[in-house]
Amino acid sequence: MTNEAVVMKNVSKTFKVLNRHEGLKGSIKDLFSRDYNTVEAVSDVSLTVSKGEIIGYLGPNGAGKSTTIKMMTGVLEPTTGEIMVNGLVPFKDRTRNSENIGVVFGQRSQLWWNLPLVESFKLLRDIYLVPQKDYEEMLELYDSLVDLEPILHKPVRQMSLGQRTLSDILAAFLHNPGIVFLDEPTIGLDVSMKAKIRELILGLNKVKNTTVILTTHDMGDVDALCKRIVIIDKGRKIYDNDIDHLKSYFGSYRTLRMRLGDDSWIEQVIDEKTTDVMNVIQETQKKHKIKDIELQEISTEEVIRKIYEGGEA
Amino acid sequence: MEEMIVKKRGFAFYLSIYKKILIQDLKSKMSYRADFIISTFGMIMTNLSGFVTFMILFHNFPSINGWDYHHMLFLYGFSLIALTPVQCFFDNNWNLRFMVRSGDFIKYCFRPINVFFYFISEVFDVKGIGQFVFGIATFVYAWAHIGIPVTVLTIAQAVVFLITASLFMIALMNFSAATCFWIINSGYVMVIMFRFKDFAKYPASIFNSIFRFIFTFIIPIAFIAYYPSLVFVTPDDVPLISWLSPFIGVVFFWLSYKFWMYGVRKYDFTGS
Repeated sequence: MTNEAVVMKNVSKTFKVLNRHEGLKGSIKDLFSRDYNTVEAVSDVSLTVSKGEIIGYLGPNGAGKSTTIKMMTGVLEPTTGEIMVNGLVPFKDRTRNSENIGVVFGQRSQLWWNLPLVESFKLLRDIYLVPQKDYEEMLELYDSLVDLEPILHKPVRQMSLGQRTLSDILAAFLHNPGIVFLDEPTIGLDVSMKAKIRELILGLNKVKNTTVILTTHDMGDVDALCKRIVIIDKGRKIYDNDIDHLKSYFGSYRTLRMRLGDDSWIEQVIDEKTTDVMNVIQETQKKHKIKDIELQEISTEEVIRKIYEGGEA
Repeated sequence: MEEMIVKKRGFAFYLSIYKKILIQDLKSKMSYRADFIISTFGMIMTNLSGFVTFMILFHNFPSINGWDYHHMLFLYGFSLIALTPVQCFFDNNWNLRFMVRSGDFIKYCFRPINVFFYFISEVFDVKGIGQFVFGIATFVYAWAHIGIPVTVLTIAQAVVFLITASLFMIALMNFSAATCFWIINSGYVMVIMFRFKDFAKYPASIFNSIFRFIFTFIIPIAFIAYYPSLVFVTPDDVPLISWLSPFIGVVFFWLSYKFWMYGVRKYDFTGS
């Protein structure tokens, strides 16, 4: 078998959207209209993900992240191009592809709402035809990674958002899939829960060598989990490399933080190639009293923001 | 990679999964005690009021188009039983459009099992049971009064034609629910269909030929009770279409399932 979990070759996805007209007359017109616009949600994306890798799949809202994941999971068919996931064409072989993937969509629980978690687990065990021995081993592994006790017998509807997300992630790994897709898994969670969830994902990836494809807007997730990131914007892949490599693009950038007389901090990202840091400080000093200065390397968050704002790296 | 072995999931697999989900679902329903009692009460009242309406109607019109009280009661009971499966097992169709709109529907597409099965299995509506009991009582009472013989043949016929009638109703609801993959306000389609089913309680012969045509070939509610009932009510004069109805029912159900699944495959799943 190959070492690739996902191979995408020149994948595009277009949607047809009806051109809507204004007013009542327009609405009536729309009823019979064949006037469609095609919108390209994903265009010409090629991507290879190796087994056991955790990649961050990033991009601003509406960039085409979810559409890509929907194609990889077999829910949507690419308009052109090829996708292979674990050696299968996902849309053609949706059922077989499902055997070997796990999916978590941040705010949407896929568990049975009214059932205690353990009952959902048992149903999933039966649906995926997981042998009892493997199932028990998995529960033992879970028990060693997180504190299962408070959630195992609780109905999902009574859980906090954090517990629910945790449960959803556990459920996605239960049948030991080759790939797990995590779409904004830490959205809306507090700091300690985020840390717990990152630890869990890392732990499962390490023990089971599961490939993880992660979309997120939280750079904390990226820093904690991903060595490699892929960025798409307006449907196109604009970056695909190591996260450190990305930072070196912006190696001459620094974040200058200054504490002013009233104890408030101001922050500025400076490119040392074009701007002299001392000049900025002096300029500021003319207008404000500066109590303290910090000069930091650019953070992942700012790198990403620069890319979203400025196009290509 | 050993995962390449294709895992077989046959009828027995689906049956056992359904059973497990059902047991869990009932358990959790019982835990909402007030809700359970109120819905049981509501179910009895609904059936009772339907029955009272029927009685009042017949008090004023002792016979409709040659169908007397007991024949009508037979039709009524027949339709109640035939409508039970759609109520009990396929009720989640009513939620389809909300789930599709909100994007929650996508979760049904990630499991290695049939999407229609997975979606439908999630809800079991207990309310249907009362309707079933009510229907059986009415049906048996009317059966005895009309004097239909009780033989292996008539009982087998009753079972086959009741299943047929159920298939038609389920198929109609599948069709109308699946329109939500294309139409935004598909709720109307479902409500209209569901209202139409009330006509199933009356002999299709009372409608003029245009409506009879519509109720036979376009929105085939005449198959929910009228055509199958003719086999029992007028055994000497059964139209061919009654005998054909079990086959048409199976085909119609199969088409509705295909249409539903086609909707899933064609849907855009927009939104994140």
